Parts: sequence; structure tokens; C-alpha cells
Amino acid sequence: MSAAAHTAFCGWSQVVSPAMIRQCLKCRVPVLQQSTRAYSIFPTPLDSEEKEMLHRIVRVDHAGEYGANRIYAGQMAVLGRSKSGPLIQEMWDQEKKHLQKFNEILSENRVRPTALLPLWNIAGFALGASTALLGKEGAMACTVAVEESISEHYNSQIRALMEKDPERYTELLQVIKEFRDDEMEHHDTGLEHDAEMVPGYWLMKNVIQLGCKAAIYVSQRI
Amino acid sequence: MAALLRGLRAGRTLRGLSSGKTGPTSRVVAAPSAVNPQCSNLNRGFHRAALRLQDESKSDKPPSSSSSSSSSSTTYHEHYQATEHDTAAEASQHDSASDPAAEQPERPNTSYQDQSGEHGEEYETEEQLQSRILTAALEFVPLHGWSMEAIAAGAETLGLSSASTGMFYNGAGDLVLHFIAHCNSQLTEILAEQHKQVQLGQAEPKKTADFLREAVETRLRMYIPYIETWPQAMSILLLPHNIPDSLKHLSSMVDDIWYYAGDRSTDVSGSSLNVRPTTSQMNWYTKRAVLTGIYNTTELVMLQDSSPDFQDTWSFLDNRIQDVVNMASSAKQVQSTGEAVVQGLMGAAVTLKNLTGLNQRR
Repeated sequence: MSAAAHTAFCGWSQVVSPAMIRQCLKCRVPVLQQSTRAYSIFPTPLDSEEKEMLHRIVRVDHAGEYGANRIYAGQMAVLGRSKSGPLIQEMWDQEKKHLQKFNEILSENRVRPTALLPLWNIAGFALGASTALLGKEGAMACTVAVEESISEHYNSQIRALMEKDPERYTELLQVIKEFRDDEMEHHDTGLEHDAEMVPGYWLMKNVIQLGCKAAIYVSQRI
Repeated sequence: MAALLRGLRAGRTLRGLSSGKTGPTSRVVAAPSAVNPQCSNLNRGFHRAALRLQDESKSDKPPSSSSSSSSSSTTYHEHYQATEHDTAAEASQHDSASDPAAEQPERPNTSYQDQSGEHGEEYETEEQLQSRILTAALEFVPLHGWSMEAIAAGAETLGLSSASTGMFYNGAGDLVLHFIAHCNSQLTEILAEQHKQVQLGQAEPKKTADFLREAVETRLRMYIPYIETWPQAMSILLLPHNIPDSLKHLSSMVDDIWYYAGDRSTDVSGSSLNVRPTTSQMNWYTKRAVLTGIYNTTELVMLQDSSPDFQDTWSFLDNRIQDVVNMASSAKQVQSTGEAVVQGLMGAAVTLKNLTGLNQRR
């Protein structure tokens, strides 16, 4: 009877814990397993610092994929019917998958999305459309610049997580690594398709990368 | 804190008197009748401590008897007063809301946890002591209002001197914030329990509007015992140094309510979040802002409501939620109308281009 009650107590606390984690984040007491699923991408944060770090990572990655999605949408709006349409569509589909994955992680772990999402919506679309107006080379140059900064960003996240505790974040690291490889592939595709031919390539690339860095910095916090 | 040390010393002297067990420090054999009046006061205090700690530890007690400090401090108290006073243990099992059987698996392990438990306990006990005092002070709020007098009276019922109010720098603000946090955690428990029932298939999932209405009503009903003094509490919450904390509590409560209302998908498809990339994630903010508005206005209505069982308040709440639902559906209608209009215009443009021959390439 006590064993059964003990098991019932375990079940109760497993269900209660997602919200109870909020209550006990002040004290440094190990919290319960958050999800009852066997497989969980996000490890349950041990304290509020870790929670803050993980939430920032997910928030900024989600914003990044959302922005990339809108950039490709902008490019497709202009170049959709041209020769490079299918190529851009294919890259866009991969980004859609990434966004879906981060949507799941965000909602399951109750991470707050960045409040600047409408801004990234408009800015991304505008960036994609305006670079596509410069032709296929412009679109590819934009892709190269954006994918390069996203890959760098993912790499620094991977480094940070590996420094802390590779085993704890295994699933999350796997996801980020896989996405980073996809982005590198897009970057290489862009280079293959004459990205460097666009006039003012150096200037455009640096301006876009600066914008991406600012966006990443801001999305982590706001 | 001082009470604990006195208790420890009393326990040790009693153990020295007894000839029997030489187990861990907290295992006391002396009969309650030999205990001096101070100790019986302590017993009462620890009895209540066990109640409070059990209430609180329900929220952060891990299921297994691992050596986390909260469970060890709980079991230390349980064990201590269980061996001090046999009937107190049974009384606590009856009185406290938590699972009584959870004590039994814990008890055999306390002998290993005592040493580590004592160290961890020093850190935990002050916050828990504060929350114990504040919880006891809530009884006196109808009498003294949300003030230091209530806290002092609460401290006295726990057997502490009323000077222990000195540890509350924020005074009445501490009391109000503690009460709010307590209400929030009660609400979260209720919602989680309902959620579990739905997951187990024992209850029907409610529609969002009904769910929100019931959640807000449940939460506001927790204020009914204190409704006379609630305006004072609200004004305390609006003091500048309390605003960050009260906003934090409010936002976490609203987030919890939406979470349990299903504002994320538990299935893998993420349907509600993926469909419209333009507006899906802004919904996160607008939903919470809307619910905050509903909650705050309903709270204000409740303050000056004199109808039986606050019927006017609940119908106000109904109307507000209905407003929101109407607004959401009319927004959807506007959007689909807009889309239809755009498509119509595009079709007209294409027809024109075909008619004038502009659509020919090559």
C-alpha cells in the first residue's frame, strides 16, 4: 500500500513538475524530470542560470530560423518564376523544417519567443526581396552572407554547450549540429551559383552580416 | 532558527539521559511527559513546521529519497517530531494534505541523511521559516490588515518572538507577495490535476473560453476570505519597489493558465503555431496581454461587488471573455475576407492582362 502510494506520489509529482519548476527556481534544489517522454531534446534546467542560458539559445535560434524563412520567402516572391526558383524553393523547404523543429522545442519547454518577431518578419522579407531584385547573383550573395553568420552563430553555441557539459546536452547539440550542417550546405550552394559575381559583393556581405549579428544580440535578450 | 537550535540541544540532553539507542542524533527516545514546557512549545512549532514544510515540499519534493536538501530537511523535521512525539506524527498525517505514505519510505533513510541534511537545512530553513511565519500571519490579516502587526501576530503563534518581524525588510509587501505566490501555486496544482485527468481520459477537455473563465474564477475566489482588506493589498503591490515582483507573479500566473489551456501543442505537428508564420508567435504575447487585462479588470470589479457570492463579478468575467472570443473570430473573418478580396483582385488583374494581350511572353 505504501509502495503504491509512493508510485502515485511519483506520478503526481511528474505531472505537477513542469509548473513547479517555476516555483522552486529560487533555491538550488534539483528539479524533477520535466517531461514524461523518454526522449527529450531539452534537459531540465538545474537552476535559473542554466534555464536562462537554454532559453536564450532556443529563443535566438527560433528567431534565426524564422528570419531565414522570411528571407527565402522574399527571394521567392521576386525570383520564384525564374530559373533559380526551384533551387531557392528547395533551400526554403529545409528552412521550414528547421523552423518547425524549433517551434516544437519552444512550445514544449515554455520558452518565450522573442518579441521582435514581427520586425524580423518584415525585415527578412524586405532583405530577401531587395537582394533578389539584384538578380540571381544578389539573392545568392544574400544567402551566402546570412548562412555564414548563422553557421558561425551555431558553432559558437555548440562550443558553449560542449564547454559546459557535452553529455547533458547531447540531443540539443545533435539538433544544432545537424542544422549547422544544413546551413553550411546552403552557404556552399550559394557560392556555387555565382554569389560572388554580384557587384558590391564585399560591401553587401559585410552589411548583411553586421545586421545579422545585431539581430542575434537583440533576439537573445528581448 | 533559534527554535531549531534549542530543539537540537534539548534533544541531545534527552538522549544523554536515556540509556537506549545510540543511533543518529535525531533519534530521541524520551517520553513526551519528561519534556519541559519549552520543548512542548517547540513540539507545537515543529508540528506546524512539518505541516508547512509538507505543504511546501509537496511542490519541490523529489519522488525518490535522494539526498536533496529540501527532502532531507523535511524528513529531518518529520523524523524529529515523529520520534519526539508519536501522536504528533499521526496528527500531521491526518492534518496535512500531502501523501502520508510518502513519510514512510522516507523515514528509514533519514539516518543517512541527517548529517548532510543538517548542513543543507541551514540554507533552506530561513526561507522556509519566513514562509511559515507569513503563512501563519495570513490568519491575522482580517484583523490587522496587511501589515507588520499581522506578521508579528503570526510569528507569535509559531512560538517565535514578535521581533522576528525584523527579518522582513519589505514588511507588508512580503506578506502580500507570499500570499500571491501561494495562490498561484495552488492554482497551478489545480490546473495540473485537471490536465492530468484529461490526459488519463477521465475528464473531457474544456473549450478554451470555458477553461479560461474557470481558471480566473478559481484564482479570484482565493481572495474571497481577504476581500475586505484586498484594496490595501493591491495598493501595496503598486508601490514601486513591489512592482517588479508583482508583475513577475502576474505574468507567470497568466503563462501557466495559457499553458494548461493548451497554448502549445502536445502533439508533434505544432499545428496552431505553424500555420501562419506572420502572426503565430505574436499570439504568444497578445494572448497573455489579453488575459492579463481580463484578470486585472475582473479583480477590480470584484473589489466593489456586493452581490451574493460575487455573481456580478463572474458575469462580468463571462462578458469579457465573450468579447475576446468575438474579437478573435471577427479578426479571423476580416482576414479571410481580405484574402478573398485580394484573390479576386489578382484574378481580375490576370483577366485584364489576358484581355489586353499583356500576358503574352515571347
